[in-house]
Amino acid sequence: MQLFWLSFGFGLVTASVLAISAVGLSLQFGITNYINFAYGDFMALGAFFTYVLNDELLHLNIWVATLGGSVAMGAFAVMLNHFILAPFARRFKKTFYVLIVTFGLSLILLNLEYSIWGADVRFFSMPLDRAHHIGPLILTNSQLAVMAIAVVLMLGVHAMLKTTRLGKSMRAMSDNTTLAMTSGIDTNRVTTITWFLSGALAGLSGAVLGITEGNLTPAAGELFLFVIFAAVIVGGVGSIYGAMAGALLIGLATEVSAAYINPAYKLDTAFVILILALLIRPSGVFARPGRA
Amino acid sequence: MSGTWYYIFTLAFFLFDYFILAMGLNIQYGETGILNFAYIGFVAIGAYVTGVLSLPSSAGTGQYYILGLSLPFPVNLLLGGLTASAFAVLVALIALRRLRTDYLAMVLISLSLVLYDVCNNYVPLFNGADGLYNVPEPFAAALKLNTNSFIPFFAAVTGVIALFMWFVMSRVTRSPAGRTFRAIRDDEVVAAALGKDVFRQQLKSMLIGSFYAGIGGGLLIQFSGSFNPTAWLPGETFVVFAVILVGGVGNNIGLLVGALLVETLLVHLPAFLPAIPGAPGLIEYFDAVLIGVLLMVMLWFRPQGVVPERARRAASFGVKARLGTAAGELAEHVGSARAPQATTEPVALTTEGSGP
Repeated sequence: MQLFWLSFGFGLVTASVLAISAVGLSLQFGITNYINFAYGDFMALGAFFTYVLNDELLHLNIWVATLGGSVAMGAFAVMLNHFILAPFARRFKKTFYVLIVTFGLSLILLNLEYSIWGADVRFFSMPLDRAHHIGPLILTNSQLAVMAIAVVLMLGVHAMLKTTRLGKSMRAMSDNTTLAMTSGIDTNRVTTITWFLSGALAGLSGAVLGITEGNLTPAAGELFLFVIFAAVIVGGVGSIYGAMAGALLIGLATEVSAAYINPAYKLDTAFVILILALLIRPSGVFARPGRA
Repeated sequence: MSGTWYYIFTLAFFLFDYFILAMGLNIQYGETGILNFAYIGFVAIGAYVTGVLSLPSSAGTGQYYILGLSLPFPVNLLLGGLTASAFAVLVALIALRRLRTDYLAMVLISLSLVLYDVCNNYVPLFNGADGLYNVPEPFAAALKLNTNSFIPFFAAVTGVIALFMWFVMSRVTRSPAGRTFRAIRDDEVVAAALGKDVFRQQLKSMLIGSFYAGIGGGLLIQFSGSFNPTAWLPGETFVVFAVILVGGVGNNIGLLVGALLVETLLVHLPAFLPAIPGAPGLIEYFDAVLIGVLLMVMLWFRPQGVVPERARRAASFGVKARLGTAAGELAEHVGSARAPQATTEPVALTTEGSGP
């Protein structure tokens, strides 16, 4: 039983990282209507921006550095969209082209990271972690902080989507871009802000992934991307609340199963759930009509 | 034999092999429109199965793998290709039904990573992260070939196989099945409305394409004698996509040009450059970046590739069907069989096709 609770705690932490990243991916998908296959590399890049602020150049506190890294990644995502992705999406109506371009972007970013930071495993400089017993769970300071960040962000995203003008514009655009445009919504501005949020959430999740895993490598994001896909598909692509629920399910399932079967097959648990979800409910648990 | 020749024949081998791989992906993506981001997974299945079928029983070799049947060369290669096809049917049955492009691409890229993960971790299957090695060289014993003479010999064998597979593929793409594939690529709904079973045709296309993938993979392991999981991370799928997009989607000559430009000149030529001192791997990284950039530039300035798809003639009317409107071409074909009075212009079913 102790093993179960221990892995349950890990599951909650993984679910927190997943929720942040899955929401970032879904926000962008809802607005632009194509999947960003470079998202995993956005995550890794955000983690390396954090690393630069935390360790290489400025020696900032890890949480301050994470904030800086996320903002930097958000700005970079806006630029990538403006100069590369948006022109391709405007010019080619078929999703094929822009998907291939994000796939190519993923290859470019990954190899740029390799050429700058090398293939060696790197570490954040962090204060020593202390473990706390909370009920049956055992969690460290940083794990608790990551969970708190995820909960606050999820509430924040919820409040933004439901109450602010920006959030309402985003929901309107994701339902029908043309209608939103004719209703006087500045769709270019909303798209830019969405890319910033998506990039920043990717950078943040990449950094907290590095913090919870204890290390960072350029390839980490790419492997994690597939777990995000599982969470997003289980929840229904484009649905923000579905992404949150999917993240919780996949996060818990991968970590708890890792405690009982070989942890090397953690990824495969997520894939089995993904396939089951596709067979039983192909459009996702929280899918909206008209999608998928 | 001098080093230069050795090197040229190695490049020739990769040219022929990637021509085969490109033809397989082209029938899936270029002809039928299935965005198969798991393509390299099928290549790997073909390679591994070909390998374990030609290796002797694993006891006492220091490697762990299944089967080990010591089968002779063309038999193991064919079985490798067929296994890749069988696996493609399984994947298609789960993933191709009712999934739109994004979902399919996400599921397939996930599949590619999971296959990698399983082969990397589950040692008894294909020797885990070490991969297979010491795979017997075909005909080497019978023809008394040494390492030097094996390379030109096998490059020639691959060339003959590639030529044959090219012949077969050009028959397939010119057949009614090929026309149906292109109709599905251009507009699934129109193809379905004309009475084509879209899923069945996509399944067929996956099956043929994956056979080519399996054969290409099998030739790779036979040529180098080894194969390990890092050779087929999802990035490798991108290289094959780059080959067909740079060369020209939907044109078999274009695929050969793409294989020459991307695989031979960009992927393998730099591998022979001396490493930059103090920066191991830097050339490979820049090379990968260059391939990504080249693909984007090509897509932007010449989306039809170096050698574009030919406008195909609609035989029944003797009028030129417009490029990228295979659905129209098909409509004409069906129309001519059923309604001889339809002498007006071909049904205008122009979709965006292969871009502007």
